[in-house]
Amino acid sequence: MWKNYFKIAVKNLLKRKLYAGINVFGLATAIACFVLLSLYLENEWTYDRWYKNVSELYRLRMDYGEKGEKLVQTAMTPNILATTIKGLPEVQKVVRVYHRDVSIRYENKSWNENRFIYADAPFFQLFSFPLKTGNAATVLNGPNMVVISASMAKKYFGDTDPVGKTLLINGNRSLQVTGVAADAPANTHLKFDFVASYSTLQLKEYWGSANYYTYVQVQQPAQLGTLQASLTAIGQQQLSDEERSNGTVLNFVPERVSDIHLHSVEADMTEEKGDVRYNYIFALIGGMLLIIACVNFMNLATARSTERSREVGVRKALGAQRGQLFWQFMMESALLTGIAMCIGLLLARLLLPAFNQLADVQLQMSGAGGYRIYFILVGVFFLVSFVTGIYPALFLSGFRPVQVLKGSQTATPQGRGIRQSLVVFQFAASIFFIICTLIVQRQMQYIQHKKLGLDRSEVLVLDGFKGNEQVLESLKGRLLQLSGVTQVTAAAESPVFIQGGYSIDHIEGRPQNYTMNINALPIEKDYLKTLGISLLSGEDLTHADIADILKEKSEERAYHFFLNETAVKKLGWTPEVAVGKRMMLNGRVGTVKGVTKDFHFASMKSKIEPIVVFPEYDWFQQIYVKTGGSNKQQVIAAIGALWKEVQPVAPFDYHFLDDDFNRMYKSEYRVGAVLGTFATLVMVVSCLGLLGLAALTTQQRTREIGIRKVLGASVTNVVAMLSKDFIKLVLVALLVAIPVAWFVGHNWLDAFAYHTSLSIWLFLMAGALAILVALLTVGLQSVKTATMNPVKSLRSE
Amino acid sequence: MIQLQKISKHYPVGFGKNEILKDVDLTIEEGEFVSIMGPSGSGKSTLLHILGLLEEPSAGQYLFQGERVDKMNEKKRTQLHRGAIGFVFQAYHLIDELTVYENIETPLLYKSLSGSERKSKVADVLDRFNMVAKKDLFPNQLSGGQQQLVGIARAIVAEPRVILADEPTGNLHSDQAKVIMELFKQLNEQDKITIIQVTHSDLNATYGNRIIQIRDGHIQG
Repeated sequence: MWKNYFKIAVKNLLKRKLYAGINVFGLATAIACFVLLSLYLENEWTYDRWYKNVSELYRLRMDYGEKGEKLVQTAMTPNILATTIKGLPEVQKVVRVYHRDVSIRYENKSWNENRFIYADAPFFQLFSFPLKTGNAATVLNGPNMVVISASMAKKYFGDTDPVGKTLLINGNRSLQVTGVAADAPANTHLKFDFVASYSTLQLKEYWGSANYYTYVQVQQPAQLGTLQASLTAIGQQQLSDEERSNGTVLNFVPERVSDIHLHSVEADMTEEKGDVRYNYIFALIGGMLLIIACVNFMNLATARSTERSREVGVRKALGAQRGQLFWQFMMESALLTGIAMCIGLLLARLLLPAFNQLADVQLQMSGAGGYRIYFILVGVFFLVSFVTGIYPALFLSGFRPVQVLKGSQTATPQGRGIRQSLVVFQFAASIFFIICTLIVQRQMQYIQHKKLGLDRSEVLVLDGFKGNEQVLESLKGRLLQLSGVTQVTAAAESPVFIQGGYSIDHIEGRPQNYTMNINALPIEKDYLKTLGISLLSGEDLTHADIADILKEKSEERAYHFFLNETAVKKLGWTPEVAVGKRMMLNGRVGTVKGVTKDFHFASMKSKIEPIVVFPEYDWFQQIYVKTGGSNKQQVIAAIGALWKEVQPVAPFDYHFLDDDFNRMYKSEYRVGAVLGTFATLVMVVSCLGLLGLAALTTQQRTREIGIRKVLGASVTNVVAMLSKDFIKLVLVALLVAIPVAWFVGHNWLDAFAYHTSLSIWLFLMAGALAILVALLTVGLQSVKTATMNPVKSLRSE
Repeated sequence: MIQLQKISKHYPVGFGKNEILKDVDLTIEEGEFVSIMGPSGSGKSTLLHILGLLEEPSAGQYLFQGERVDKMNEKKRTQLHRGAIGFVFQAYHLIDELTVYENIETPLLYKSLSGSERKSKVADVLDRFNMVAKKDLFPNQLSGGQQQLVGIARAIVAEPRVILADEPTGNLHSDQAKVIMELFKQLNEQDKITIIQVTHSDLNATYGNRIIQIRDGHIQG
């Protein structure tokens, strides 16, 4: 019996190649996308959840701020916090992690490394990263020890055993390799290449600077309530009586390590945070595609009901029970689903590298979680077979033989209402995703073209500078002599990584105890000029100003500050009034030298905050070179040659300032790209369904069309008649999709402090696109039928 | 074998009803060859559908081999289809996707016979109808007469007690019709299969041994 069902199913598929092709192709596409998106989501949702004792792991967040202001939340904490909480009864182990970009030399080769961390001894006990060699308890238990990843072992030492070898860090510190760890997987926020022992640093422990991540393993059973109380008390102790009475807040809050990737304030220095909303969107797309492909299947199957009703009638008259017919139809959909599944899996395999590039991930079909996808797929197979089979099976097997055999009722199309609603649903989904894609693209364009208040074009950033102001001056002088170099300056960090955590006080004309939190960046003399930041009042730096801050004795130094417009406004000054005011920035005494126009130094998701930039020559790590002229490669080569001469220890690494800015929107670019691709696919699969429906409808109406043509209808009349019905459905879909898309788009844009507006054109464009595509799909079919010789179609009936 | 007592059939039309059959009493004995005749719309097809359990009567009793079938549930009715009743249609109603062989095999599938039993039964029928050479052809590769032969082969392969034929020669020209009618006569006489046919043709009716005239839903005389 089953063999017979199978045979009939195969024959039916072969007989109706267009129908089977549409179903298989649509379903295969959907399944391929589903597989890829599942892999992606599996990676996202297993993020940091695989450590052995993950339920006991927390990272401490620092919240601080003045009364009445929004609290600043950061994952960076002072290094003394770890020492302070070590004795608490709720705490089992504490580990600090400190990131440094370093240059590493081994024998005569050197590289810049940016996945380098210092961590306390129990690092590998807290986080169960497998060690290939070395004991987790001892690999970091003394100064000058380092554990390297397997790929770094290969890079530095080739096939020789790295344990016991010595690496030279930044030209001045020797670390001995004590262990080799397996490469950190994709689903951890701690993607390290090197873990050096924290004790190597021999840092003073104090509350004054917060540059360290503090990880805690709590005692079981976890007493989060009392731990929080102790942490709050520790925060309170660090405030002066005055600050306490002012309502200043300083608190530490434990956050689950497993929540860092999606829910924390920030992920890690080396990694952007994931966004759970994008995960939902991807899950929605994957599910939608599958549903839409299933809908195609059901639609086509029921639309063909008239064709198959005769078969059902005959079979019933020959003694088939409803159940037997039901299984026959189920078998057909299972067969189709099975074929689609195989093709879909194959497609997914082929497309995985492209998808990895698109979504900027490294996923594998056969990785740690890869096998799980096959279990899911078995489930999907049964679900899809069931869903696509059940409706047609129930519907078709329910035909009464006598109606069919009498021949009177076969012409009426069955289940038209349901079919129309399903088409509306498909197109609403397509239009929704198209609008979303357009909104994301528009916002990205807006960000690209918005005036930043600083000119980041053609600025080359040289990383890893080391040296004092003499080294800097000589490098700068020689760089400026190169043709194609117009400006040179230096700073501690890129303008997109400006750190908060500073505060200004002792401000002229303000009460003694007034403090204001502010972002700050130490700069070189020509910084404003090189980056094209314009001044509203005051003047740019002179050599005399620099001399003021380079004085031997710190009490003789006089600092010069540039505040931005926002900071000045917050202090209640006008740009003109601000110039010359005295103030203190974390102990640096000085005066306001000028006021800059507001410039964007952070993502457009946040409003421009108060910032102070000031010359201070102790921290420079990056040299900024503004280039002009056409031959960029030549300029870069010349700079590289010069760099090797002046900075023999540090390797020559450079990037463009543009890249720093673009990186801030990496996840948005990514979601834009993924959304764009999959929205197109949703549209394609929907259109496949429409194509099938149009083909069937026109086929069923061949006789009618023939009669109309004999009576004098033109081809245009006929095409219009056939297209009209479908276009109506698309219009209804448009009405459904627009409010939803507007709502979602509006919400998404609201996350940006600076965003584009949702113009009506966007929606009209999406609508026009959908109608155009639908018209093309239906039109092709209609024209084919409409141009047929009516005599032929009438005779064949 | 078949007893109809006061069978009526009507369809709702608007607020009233359209009476197709009115108080039909009819008895058909085993081994009869009955022809039902009457003008278009007289209710002969409906009568045949009721006899074949494809339609339920609105009122009255129907006894098939002494058993009440007018109120049978679908499952039992299907059992009767499989075992006792074979159908032959005017438009043949072969399944286009299946070959001659597979079409004939279909009723046996629903009787859940084993593969080898099916094979031998189908082979017997093919042999008897001289269609062995055509067994792998599809219906659209056959002439109308040949298609109807397949239709009859399919009807008898499950060895029914009665064959119901709805204008079996309506789509055929007279030479083909003669072959089909001879075949029915043979089945009736040799195999003792009861045959009930609906026909317009007086000639076809002569093959049978009893004629039932129906007019406006009543059996005449």
